[in-house]
Amino acid sequence: MASYFFMRDSILLYVNGHRHLVGGQSALRSLSDFLRRDLGLIGTKIVCSEGDCGACTVLIGRPRDGRFVYQSVDSCIQFMFQLDGMHIVSVEGLSRNDQMTPMQQSMIDCHGSQCGFCTPGFVVAMTGMLEDCQQLSTADLRHGLTGNLCRCTGYTPILDAGTQFDASAHHRLKEIYPEAAMLEDLAENAAGDIEIITGSGSQKHSLFSPDDLNSATKFLDAHPEATIIAGGTDVGVRINKTLELPTSILDLNRLTEMESVSVESDRLVLGARASWAAVEEACAGVAPEFHRILTVFGSPQIRNVGTIGGNIVNASPIADSLPFLYVMESMLTLSSQSGTRRVNINDFYSGYKKFDLRPGELLTKIDVPLPRDDETLKLYKVSRRRDLDIASFTAAIRLRFDGNTIAEASIALGAVGPTIVRPRKVEQFLLGKPFSEATMRQAGELATEEISPISDVRGSAEYRTQLTRNVFLKFFYENQPELLIA
Amino acid sequence: MKSVGKPLPHDSAEGHVTGQALYLDDVRTFDGELHVGFVGSPVACGELFAVDTQPAFAVPGVVACFTAHDVPGHNIFGLITADEPFLADEQLLYLGQPVAVVAAESREALELGRQAVRIECRAAKPILELEEAISKERFLGARLRIARGDVDKKLASAEHQLSGTFSSGGQEQFYLESQASIAYPGEQGQIVVHSSTQNPTEIQAVVAEVLGVGQHEVVCICKRMGGAFGGKETQAAIPAMMAALVAQKTGRPARVIYNKDDDMRVTGKRHEYLTRWEVGFDASGRIEALRCNYFSNGGAATDLSPAVLERTLLHSDNAYYVPHVELNGRICFTNLPPNTAFRGFGGPQAMAVTENVLESIAQHLQRDAYDIRLANLYGIGERNVTPYGQVFDKNHLPEIYASLAAQSQYQQRRQEIAQFNANSKLQLRGLALTGIKFGISFTTKFLNQGNALVNVYTDGTIQVSTGATEMGQGVNIKIRQLVADEFAINTSRVVLMPTSTEKNNNTSPTAASASTDLNGAAAVEACQKIKARLQQFAAERLADPDAGLQASPRHIEFVDGFVIDSRRPQVRVEFQQICDEARRERVDLGARGFFATPGVDFNRETGRGTPFFYFTQGAAVAEVVIDRFTGELRVPRVDLLVDIGQSINPGVDRGQIIGGFIQGLGWVTSEALVYDDQGELLSHSPTTYKIPAVTDLPEEFNVTTFDNQDNVQNIRRSKAVGEPPLMLGISVWAAVKNALSYGGPAEQIDLRLPATGEEVLRCLTQLAAAPDASKTTLAK
Repeated sequence: MASYFFMRDSILLYVNGHRHLVGGQSALRSLSDFLRRDLGLIGTKIVCSEGDCGACTVLIGRPRDGRFVYQSVDSCIQFMFQLDGMHIVSVEGLSRNDQMTPMQQSMIDCHGSQCGFCTPGFVVAMTGMLEDCQQLSTADLRHGLTGNLCRCTGYTPILDAGTQFDASAHHRLKEIYPEAAMLEDLAENAAGDIEIITGSGSQKHSLFSPDDLNSATKFLDAHPEATIIAGGTDVGVRINKTLELPTSILDLNRLTEMESVSVESDRLVLGARASWAAVEEACAGVAPEFHRILTVFGSPQIRNVGTIGGNIVNASPIADSLPFLYVMESMLTLSSQSGTRRVNINDFYSGYKKFDLRPGELLTKIDVPLPRDDETLKLYKVSRRRDLDIASFTAAIRLRFDGNTIAEASIALGAVGPTIVRPRKVEQFLLGKPFSEATMRQAGELATEEISPISDVRGSAEYRTQLTRNVFLKFFYENQPELLIA
Repeated sequence: MKSVGKPLPHDSAEGHVTGQALYLDDVRTFDGELHVGFVGSPVACGELFAVDTQPAFAVPGVVACFTAHDVPGHNIFGLITADEPFLADEQLLYLGQPVAVVAAESREALELGRQAVRIECRAAKPILELEEAISKERFLGARLRIARGDVDKKLASAEHQLSGTFSSGGQEQFYLESQASIAYPGEQGQIVVHSSTQNPTEIQAVVAEVLGVGQHEVVCICKRMGGAFGGKETQAAIPAMMAALVAQKTGRPARVIYNKDDDMRVTGKRHEYLTRWEVGFDASGRIEALRCNYFSNGGAATDLSPAVLERTLLHSDNAYYVPHVELNGRICFTNLPPNTAFRGFGGPQAMAVTENVLESIAQHLQRDAYDIRLANLYGIGERNVTPYGQVFDKNHLPEIYASLAAQSQYQQRRQEIAQFNANSKLQLRGLALTGIKFGISFTTKFLNQGNALVNVYTDGTIQVSTGATEMGQGVNIKIRQLVADEFAINTSRVVLMPTSTEKNNNTSPTAASASTDLNGAAAVEACQKIKARLQQFAAERLADPDAGLQASPRHIEFVDGFVIDSRRPQVRVEFQQICDEARRERVDLGARGFFATPGVDFNRETGRGTPFFYFTQGAAVAEVVIDRFTGELRVPRVDLLVDIGQSINPGVDRGQIIGGFIQGLGWVTSEALVYDDQGELLSHSPTTYKIPAVTDLPEEFNVTTFDNQDNVQNIRRSKAVGEPPLMLGISVWAAVKNALSYGGPAEQIDLRLPATGEEVLRCLTQLAAAPDASKTTLAK
């Protein structure tokens, strides 16, 4: 339990095996700034400051079950206060005794670098992938490197390097960094609530990082205006681009109780702070369509820290997860000092970035019913680039058939209005209709009357209207097995 | 111990993979160093009345703030036409155009200082669209023209005619390291500028002009760039001038590092083009006459636009012979940042037009586009004169096309694709083979020169300095290989020094794919001077008059790290020993080499000449799959066959081929620049501007080179490789156009470039709405 006496005013973490107590302004910096400017570790490069290029990729080791679990993250949108109790490994920390790692040597031999600016990020990301496996296939690398952009090489030499390195000479991070002493130190000393206050007057910033939910809601009760940060993949971008740090920050990163992910017989029960990587893993067997969409959600670096709760309360009509959560009638649990309530996600949003979260409330849990065997669910995400892109259009179509007749229809369309659109007229129209091209063509036409798309950098209103029209036909043809040509 | 021809790693590979290679923002700050940034124009077009810098000085930590009035020398610069202000003065030309420079003690103070500066101006309506500039006749510079034969007559008399308008979008270079410069004030008004630039000589010149000092008082150094692709040929100038101005005025080191958003908003890109074309051809698809009127979007100042447009005209033929041809080009003024160099430099825009014309002819005649291409390909010994009069000899294109078609099973896949498209309700496949013939040399004659400084030390190690800058393309390792081979030593004994105007003066930009050609040849020339002196010395050293062996320099050879007299090869002296002894005998072990490309010349007035030293050639076969309902695109397979002569470094060259191709793939598919109606770039970061990611690689990707020995005029029979492969990416666009031809009856599909999902869906929708849409065209 947190108490005043244990309140800390700095965070404790390790970087490349070295212990750092970080307080004051430095605790409010981005990890990449801390590495580059405070520690002089300039191997971590900054390009976009928005988690969209991966040049700043580092590994974050979180203590779990007596060991560090390392994951790649974009250090430009991680803030120091999110990292209490962790072990950070940057490109400078990958090798032992200044020896080149087999992966680094392979990158050299395969001409995996040209200008070299993205290279440390790729090396770190690939090394991170090797924490869980011995060898990397081209398929692994294509999936695992979607968060790293390279403008020079055309990627092929990097894939060569990743598949051809000398695995027998590779050392995992736990071999390079003995874990016991660090874990012990962190367990003992990275506990209790943290409060950091810097500056004064208009330059005053305060950070509160509790280690249990009750402290969090208590703080929120007293500071309902606080900016809440979990993964920080959206807030972090905003801070970098506006160069304005919120006045008051509530950090949820240490609330492990909100991280849980469980699959029950007919539903997923997800803590709001569950990372997308954890949700992706849990969905693999039980919700294959959702799993497929999650593989093109952001990038590994984003999924490793971005949370399902953040995606929901960020309230973007283009959020990848929402159409699925809508058609599955997901239930949100909202907690505050005055109690807990449950809201269907379909009733949660009232307009662009407007939602039913009362002052002092935190989203803590999401219950997602799983698709049943007797229904057909398809999810769609259309974007300019397949991976690491924000959707131009999303959709979920969930139909239950009685023979060839549509018995139930749930449809959600994204990026075509200020919130996700449930086209109720279309759902009504479909009931009792035969599942035919004519029906679906009509449904598409009807759906265009229920949307209000805008033109923006990701596509014109006409494009989004046409996609709305077409997605029903696409669904129809995708569910006509005899028409599928290999 | 030959190293030319070996795939040695990049010069900085170890630094890259360990993160220890330093880019400008990685250089430790000096005491007293200032953070420098700029305040940009709030409007794309307008009149500037006043800049109030006083509020900035109220911010603690702001040290200086300068406007055009503070520039001690010239405020207007430009390589071809001096028409670009360093800092805006009177006229505001594009959104974000630098108006004031702010210097501060910290990044935070700089940010607050930037926000505090007040700009008083009156906004006017900007010109943003090419069509508007054309109708208002707002052009930069003169019309360019190349013509041959009687185009009007032959267009009229041809059996078939087609015409159309083709538009290709601009492209952001998207180098990962943004524009950057650090300036250090020196003694007596001198200044040292470190710049992430492809053109140190130009930086030296513009900094001298802006500061009102002599070029001899400015040194520009470039160690490396984190990518450039043309975007740092001229565009590095403004940040360098900012840093230099602050350093001169304050006497303190000054650092400018653009952030990605600013960089993308305010720097020039590949030119957007609109081309009106007319073609006349016979029943076999052979072109009799072609007219192209090219309009490029130059932006708000000339920059390199005339040279880019010239290269467009010179590549309108691409790989194909056109007997009667008229090519006209104009540069349109718009209120956008001045567009500039980008890999291919006007070539891609021209070649895309031509490949589109060929696809259109094929669709019109209901023939396979490959047959149309073969019918028009440059001949060997006949049909081999370019529109500008240069004879295209050493033409490998017929063999390259035939080999690649066979290797890629083009004909068989064509059948499979037709069948697939007839049956699939969900997808359409397309296949196309396109080619390149890319002219190597600057079309501006005087730039075809290079110089090099080679210093041999007494331990047998060598430092080489040339005008070439290293941006990732591997020029340093290639020059190391060339120099190492001259002395028959290991490349580890040769180091390429940072490019500096102190070592190499009056250099050309690292551009036009020609840097190894020019600088490598200059370095070899310097080596040969030193070798000649060492041969003189070694001849005496190895002679043995008592044994009847007289000194003979021509018999002195450099072999495997030793120096020998070939008449008595068993006596060997280590190279370093010869160097050490030579110095003691007062032999000069340093030399400067020079190279000027022989025989190139082009007359802009007549549109005739021999602008190119040789041509890099190649072809690509791309297959695409498009989703009939979303327009989404996949590239299941690509085959490339590229003629790069005898490769100096096959590893580096393979990287250039693949990397260039993928950049071209980005240009033709996913990279879309989106502006709002006020001239603001909306796609100004990787969140909204989508370069290819790893999953956009073709699923099957076969890359081969075409072996030949005939590029004898160039260094070690190699060929330039930097730019040409980018244009092989056009094959992907042509394959999309081909796929669409299966989607409906519309004969002329108006597919624009890039073929984004939105653009493809627009075409699919248009096809479906065509009057005869029920009958799907599946012929072929």
